[in-house]
Amino acid sequence: MSTPAPSRLRHYEVMVILDPSLDERTIAPSLDAFLSVVKNDGGTIEKVDIWGRRRMAFEINKHGEGIYAVLDLQAAPAAVQELDRQLNLNESVLRTKVLRPDER
Amino acid sequence: MPKPPIRKPKKKANPLLAAKIDYIDYKDTALLRKFVSDRGKIRARRVTGVSAQQQRQLAKAIKNAREMALLPYTSTAR
Repeated sequence: MSTPAPSRLRHYEVMVILDPSLDERTIAPSLDAFLSVVKNDGGTIEKVDIWGRRRMAFEINKHGEGIYAVLDLQAAPAAVQELDRQLNLNESVLRTKVLRPDER
Repeated sequence: MPKPPIRKPKKKANPLLAAKIDYIDYKDTALLRKFVSDRGKIRARRVTGVSAQQQRQLAKAIKNAREMALLPYTSTAR
């Protein structure tokens, strides 16, 4: 366990499930707005992959399907934490998952 | 010299994952579905035939996928 310097960037993968009643065309801009936290902190967005509407294996908040998006980013831990917090505050975000793919 | 035990260990099925997958991604539901039963339970290692390390990574990936509703926790196949 190393304690990274405060501004050390790491590779994160964030998956977001959004409310299916949203218009798909508004997804990219709204994700962009969320990602400004990362950008303002010196992080970079490597990839934004919007899977689109997808049937979920079980209902989440009474929704049978959700709009999936996967974000690949290089960011400082604090910035990602803040991004996750803000996503979860938003009503149209059903669920999020933050992962470091190269943790091992 | 000592006699081998009568119960011979079953021939080990070769790990399917030797098929060039080194990182088990929780987003790859097509792959993960091969390692869960039709009720949604994670298959045992003696069934899947993967290494202990791979089985741990698999279990983790499946659980992550469940959290994101990519795989069911249970399915009512019965």
